[in-house]
Amino acid sequence: MLKLEHLTAAYPDGTKPVQDVSLCVEDGQRVALIGANGAGKTSLILSLVGVLPADGAVTVDGLTLCPENLPALRRKIGVVFQDPDDQLFMPTVLEDVAFGLENQGLPAERARQKAQAALDSLNIGALAGRTPLKLSGGEKRMAALATVLALEPTLLALDEPTAFLDPRARRTLIHCLNGLDTAMLIATHDLAFAAQVCPRAVLLREGRVFADGPCRELLYDPALMEACGVEAIGADG
Amino acid sequence: MRPIAEQLGQLTRLEELAGQNSPIHRLHPGAKLAATGVYLLCVLSLGRLQFGRLAPYLLYPVVVLSLAEVPLGLVLRRAALALPFCAFAGLSNLLLERQVLLWLGPVPVTVGLASCGVLLLRALLCVSAVLALAAVTPFGQLTGQLRRMRMPSFCVALLEMLYRYLGLLAGQAGSMLTAYRLRGGSGTGLPVGHMGSFIGQLLLRSTARAQRVYQAMECRGGFTGGSAAQKRPFTRNDWLYLAAVCLPCLAARAVDLPLLLGRLFVC
Amino acid sequence: MHMSDALLSPTVGLTMCAVSAGALAVSAARVQRSQLTRQKLPMMAVGGAFVFAAQMINFTIPGTGSSGHIGGGILLATLLGGGPALLALAAVLVVQCLFFADGGLLALGCNIFNMGVLPCLVVYPLVVRPLLCRGLTPRRLSAAALLGAVLGLQLGAFGVVLETQLSGITALPFGTFAALMQPIHLAIGLGEGLVTAGVLCFVARVQPEVLESTQQARPMEKTASVKKIAVLLLCLTAAVAGGLSLFASQNPDGLEWAVQAVAGSTELEAEGAVQEGAAALQEKTALMPDYDYADGEGNGTSTAGVVGSALTFTLAGGVGLALAAAKKRRAKQRAAEQG
Repeated sequence: MLKLEHLTAAYPDGTKPVQDVSLCVEDGQRVALIGANGAGKTSLILSLVGVLPADGAVTVDGLTLCPENLPALRRKIGVVFQDPDDQLFMPTVLEDVAFGLENQGLPAERARQKAQAALDSLNIGALAGRTPLKLSGGEKRMAALATVLALEPTLLALDEPTAFLDPRARRTLIHCLNGLDTAMLIATHDLAFAAQVCPRAVLLREGRVFADGPCRELLYDPALMEACGVEAIGADG
Repeated sequence: MRPIAEQLGQLTRLEELAGQNSPIHRLHPGAKLAATGVYLLCVLSLGRLQFGRLAPYLLYPVVVLSLAEVPLGLVLRRAALALPFCAFAGLSNLLLERQVLLWLGPVPVTVGLASCGVLLLRALLCVSAVLALAAVTPFGQLTGQLRRMRMPSFCVALLEMLYRYLGLLAGQAGSMLTAYRLRGGSGTGLPVGHMGSFIGQLLLRSTARAQRVYQAMECRGGFTGGSAAQKRPFTRNDWLYLAAVCLPCLAARAVDLPLLLGRLFVC
Repeated sequence: MHMSDALLSPTVGLTMCAVSAGALAVSAARVQRSQLTRQKLPMMAVGGAFVFAAQMINFTIPGTGSSGHIGGGILLATLLGGGPALLALAAVLVVQCLFFADGGLLALGCNIFNMGVLPCLVVYPLVVRPLLCRGLTPRRLSAAALLGAVLGLQLGAFGVVLETQLSGITALPFGTFAALMQPIHLAIGLGEGLVTAGVLCFVARVQPEVLESTQQARPMEKTASVKKIAVLLLCLTAAVAGGLSLFASQNPDGLEWAVQAVAGSTELEAEGAVQEGAAALQEKTALMPDYDYADGEGNGTSTAGVVGSALTFTLAGGVGLALAAAKKRRAKQRAAEQG
């Protein structure tokens, strides 16, 4: 369903965080994007939805990335940002979740109902009226996830979803992601998390695909992981 | 200047107060806004020497603030903020206007004293009235009311987003300041030479954050005009409240109530 | 420089609210018409929050031991452009008024005018931008920041003086008041200018594209926006002068300097008719403070007034105490039930 062909993204200053990346994600498949800081994980996700201009082809369910398709494409790919504070900008959680729905043309009342339903499905219905400023890190992360899930995307793109989470919030997140049947692209350097959620891993190094295969094989290979700039699971213990 | 954490604490405190559920909290935000407006206009339109006639106006903030459980200390601290400039204007009156207005027994009251008193009392009343509004109306309801009043949705959305990021950036400034102090920066403020890079850092972080917020918004369809105004009709209680505040205010503005009261006792 | 409600008469307050609302409406329309609205909104909101946070950071004023903080008007205008900066600053002032008692509700008009409209729509386009559009060298940045901050604060302080005087709240003669306010704000302006210059130079060195994006977009629309600003200023002047004439009908002494200062003496005659109408309206609405201490009140009425006032104050205080006591009793009851 998601197909990238020779994707190259460039910043105005000339740096190329993503270089010639080609990969496919099947329906319902969960893929971990693994790499060290600066390997191009975030840039890859941003270029999927046209936030970062890129050359090459992105196709989702037959839709190619071009200015006319942008709204439809962004509806299909739900991006969860690394810092939930970037994503939650409305005064209350409920309004924030309803924001995207209202943009799809849903009437305000219906949008609120759907937003509440999305919150309930993640067991955070009680946060609806709270202001994002006073949520805990874990709650913010779940709320940010809800803002995207409410739009019912066919592919979820998560950027470092476990950053700043304590072990319990991390477990909740894993449990919740495993309960979804949406396809996912998860950028992370938390290998244990990746192994628990994703069957497949794509390793990035300096903006290029370095290896692609089952998590079970890649993430436990010390030499490969070392080359990639992260530590294999079990490497230090 | 008070530490940042303390100022943010005050914001949180007011937010908590506004989030309570009392009969006044449940009233229409438009009614509360209109009542505050009428009250302010009445208070400010009284003469600059009519100290006594301000007395009835104490009732409104006293009643609303105590019903809303706003601590008196908070009100006074806020009023004190507005005070230095008012006190300056008041004191200059005290020095410049020495004609005697009236005699309280053997004590002469000068024009300057009266106008100084009026100024200080006015400052207290106005601050309490605005505080009374903020303490019984959640910010979201106020912006909702602005939407209903046909303020451009773009501007309302700006207000809401500003309010959202206020605490975040102030908190960031606070932790940067703490980190700076821990590495040896002392004294009440930063040296001017360090301000450029310190505030510049904060600014760059802010623009980077704004960029990411924009991207996150775009990923969900972009800003198309903010949420629509939600209808909320005035109920009987709202009208009653409006009348209960406005009519006495206007009456006290039109008639010298304390004078009438006094005549009952002094012929 | 935040003015409190207590310093204003309703006429001045409402007039300035109308003036500022006009300036805001024009800026909002202009921002909304531009293609960059969607991108500008988060930038404005976060920029406003940044100014708020930056105002919390104090710097020591060299040689005095005291400390101050920046206002941020010129800084924000350089970053976002005049119109968007005005909107962001206005939003900051609204929040400060409601939650921090910095400036009053009715005084919002005055405060937005003094601290937003003057630096963003007058000083920035006329002084700062012309200096910066020929390149962002440290020297230019510093000069623009210093000049902009000093001029902005001088104009703002003059606005405060003017508005306070027009409200008839202080007995201080206009000249003395201005002679006190302007030098104080010269010092504050220099401080603000130094810090603003430091920030701009830092940003230009570390991440120049943040500044370039706003400064580059300018030359294309330059002629159009200068014309618009001129029209806007004219409207503002007319509105302020209208407000002044309202005031002047009751205080003819104040009129001479006020009209000369704001509208130029020649326009006086044209406004005669408006002024009469306004005076008639004003008598009916009686929104101006009336100076009634000289109207020969008898001693008896004064005593009654004093006694009555004292009683009313006591009454108000009593109601407060009673409510507080009732509340305490209820809280105690609740605690007893729970315990």
